Amino acid sequence: MQWVVFTAAFFASAVEFVEAFTIVLVVGVTVNWRSALLGALAATATLAVLVATLGVALVQWVPLDVLRLVVGILLLLFGLKWLKNAILRYSGLKAVHDEDAIYEETRAQLRARGQFDASSSRFDLFGFLLSYKSVLLEGLEVAFIVITFGVSAATSTVSRSSGIASAALGALLAGLLVILVGALVRVPLTKVPENTLKFVVGIMLTTFGTFWTGEGFSVAWPLADVFLLILAAIYLCAAFLLIAWLKQVKKQQQARAIENQSAPTTAQKQEVIP
Amino acid sequence: MKIIKAIYNFIVGDMFILIGIALTVTILVLINNVSALASLKGFSGLFLVIGVLGSLVASLSREAFSSPR
Repeated sequence: MQWVVFTAAFFASAVEFVEAFTIVLVVGVTVNWRSALLGALAATATLAVLVATLGVALVQWVPLDVLRLVVGILLLLFGLKWLKNAILRYSGLKAVHDEDAIYEETRAQLRARGQFDASSSRFDLFGFLLSYKSVLLEGLEVAFIVITFGVSAATSTVSRSSGIASAALGALLAGLLVILVGALVRVPLTKVPENTLKFVVGIMLTTFGTFWTGEGFSVAWPLADVFLLILAAIYLCAAFLLIAWLKQVKKQQQARAIENQSAPTTAQKQEVIP
Repeated sequence: MKIIKAIYNFIVGDMFILIGIALTVTILVLINNVSALASLKGFSGLFLVIGVLGSLVASLSREAFSSPR
């Protein structure tokens, strides 16, 4: 078992599955559970086929050096996207993902489409497709992380297969956990610290992306694999500094906005008083 | 075109990050392949980390200053 790969896949999958679960829950409650669960199962099967075929193809045919460089760059781009969004959310420049709001919004949209009988077990194509699409779209990011992370974390063809297996296991466990908790509470999982998870995964992906891209360019990292921890610390410190800076920027923008609002009012008062 | 845009949005979705990383990779390719730049090879790792952090800072700066929130 490759624990780093397992952990990264687990956290990333937990975030994505929470988002997908919200839509499946809405379809289940508003349309019916049969269509919602069938859609989710079909999407899971599609994702499993994708991971198996692409994973096997990458393990068998692509040389490790090329793979590490390409996957390293892709992970860098992907990780920076996650990290950027998490930093923007922490600093208040972007709204935090609100599962409750998404739940209510999707529910209202479904109700606006027409009358659904949630107690009926009749298959509903629209409900099925909505559930399928949401799980597939959220799951694609998970599949991407499972394949890239699983394949690149290894040093040989044999351990590449075990890398994918570790990542897939992490994703599977996260999926089961979200489904289990979701089935018990039957409300959107608002308590899951989505942004913290995205932040952690963003740091991990950026760290590994940098390390593997460097290895693809034959960079001899000091202390070999231990340098991963140093890289993670560098990115973590940089992220905290950026959050503090962006909070400051936001405060200044708010102060300026208040100033601008009050300035015309004062000018108007002066005009009234002769 | 739609497919390319979908892939772009899926993987990165940010032009600053994409250009930043592309520039960094180009510099590393040059350092690795141009003999005149071979003396910089020892700093490849450093260039990479600086390129990554620079891309992140540039992208966040654009988000912070592009429009008043």
